[in-house]
Amino acid sequence: MTIPVVVKTTHLNFSFRNGIKTLDDVNLEVPQGSIYGFLGPNGAGKTTTLRLLLGLLKNQDGKLELFGQQFSGHRLDILRRLGSLIEQPSLYLHLTAKENLEIYQLVYKTGKKRVNEVLELVGLAQTGRKKARQFSLGMRQRLAIAIALLNQPELLILDEPTNGLDPNGIIETRELIKKLNKEYNTTVIVSSHILNEVEKMATHLGIIHKGRMLFQGPLQELQQMKTRQSMLEIETNDNARAITILSSQYAVQEKENLLLLPYGNKQQTAGITQLLVREGLDVYAIHPRQSDLEQLFIEITSNNI
Amino acid sequence: MSLVIATRAELIKNKRSAAFWLCLIGSAFMPFIFFLTFTLRPDLNYARLAAEPWQAHLGKGWQNFSAFLLPMFVILTCSLIPQVEYKNNTWKQVFASPLSIGDIFFSKYLSIISMVFFLFVMFNVFMLLAGVAADLIHPKYTFLEKAVDWKWLIKMNFKSFISLLAIISIQYWLSLRFRNFIVPIGIGLGLLVSALILMPWEHINKVPYAFPLLSFAGSGGPEAAKSGLLASHEIYSILYFLVFTLLGFADMRFRKERG
Repeated sequence: MTIPVVVKTTHLNFSFRNGIKTLDDVNLEVPQGSIYGFLGPNGAGKTTTLRLLLGLLKNQDGKLELFGQQFSGHRLDILRRLGSLIEQPSLYLHLTAKENLEIYQLVYKTGKKRVNEVLELVGLAQTGRKKARQFSLGMRQRLAIAIALLNQPELLILDEPTNGLDPNGIIETRELIKKLNKEYNTTVIVSSHILNEVEKMATHLGIIHKGRMLFQGPLQELQQMKTRQSMLEIETNDNARAITILSSQYAVQEKENLLLLPYGNKQQTAGITQLLVREGLDVYAIHPRQSDLEQLFIEITSNNI
Repeated sequence: MSLVIATRAELIKNKRSAAFWLCLIGSAFMPFIFFLTFTLRPDLNYARLAAEPWQAHLGKGWQNFSAFLLPMFVILTCSLIPQVEYKNNTWKQVFASPLSIGDIFFSKYLSIISMVFFLFVMFNVFMLLAGVAADLIHPKYTFLEKAVDWKWLIKMNFKSFISLLAIISIQYWLSLRFRNFIVPIGIGLGLLVSALILMPWEHINKVPYAFPLLSFAGSGGPEAAKSGLLASHEIYSILYFLVFTLLGFADMRFRKERG
């Protein structure tokens, strides 16, 4: 049984006017009912991808499908079924929370009752005549989420929804996302540059770096993937002989005076060292090399300690 | 019907907005100055206003209003209404909501036009109030005894409105094009001043920013009687309006990056 896919992009490429490729063959697949963590460092292409999904950028190359429909030609049908929050909250600061919602209540034709429901849901029902200008950043973010929830969307696209929030705000937003997903089966795409945060709520993960998808799949698959991608790096005094010795057991390759072979575990490393030493080779260095993915993780996590 | 809904949503955005206050204060400003001079220095005004008080008062008001204030308010309003989206960074939410590009473009357009309409209505109301209030304070004035020439007033309003359509369409396009609201305001004021300087030119009836003043100038005298309902510059105004509306819409429709 295959789970239906809510968002699917095929060979998506995008360049801004300066000619630099922002997206390079991005194939996104978001399963229905998932919380899809879209992870990558700043400038990786997350917002560009999400803007393309909403039609805020004109698609240049590749296919964009939401709810099984091509975006071009079904823009209104698609937008009616989703809610979005892109970058900073989009609010009319001279209006109250209720007035901000009334604007979109008209656009989505949801009925007035829904305004109070979403205000209740995000905990802003008591703000009364207070203007959005006087709201804290956390309150603004919650109001923006309330707008995104007005039409009871099947898909919620949230771009860095916890950016700038205090720890409490981050937890509240996370709980809200989980609640929507669990109680209303809302599919959520949530982008972030913080691995730690996404891991706490996502069921699926997509990792983008420099415009390319490095990983996509269920969260559990990530661990296996990390192991699969790792390589052992060996430096000896005679690489040619070392290759002859090791090639019967391992897929060895030589790269810039280093030998590379797929990393298994610590025992494997010790066994290889012993084997090479027994054959009279000098082993200068032997250690697991970080994969692109791990490199990326360090980048993602170290930026945000 | 979706355009009606989108326009209603636009009107909520203009609640208490800068454009709303500008129109309200802008329409009251000149009538208030008139009211002050009428009440503080009646001696200077009794004689001038004795025979035809309304005609003299409204004529003077519309003359000043048409020449500079009205086009300037329109330039400012056209900038301030799209500016609400730029300032709050809300264009992206507008374009990501299920509204067609036509609904987005024309609902904002309609809200600008209704704001200009509101400015017109309020200006007339405040002008009439200034006369009535001055008479109540100084009964020597004859505002309450003499009739308002409603036919002239309605015609003046109608022709002014038509004459403004060209400026509205140009300014709206400029305001959508430039994120920084100083740019369309600067261009608009520059063109307005140039138009006033060019007034004696024989082709002035093709210069959009001169149209409101031309409509005022054509509202009385023999010229008005023979020109029929619309003067030549008013027909040009409608043509400019159609062209720039189409251009503005096409610009929004085919833009590669929105919000």
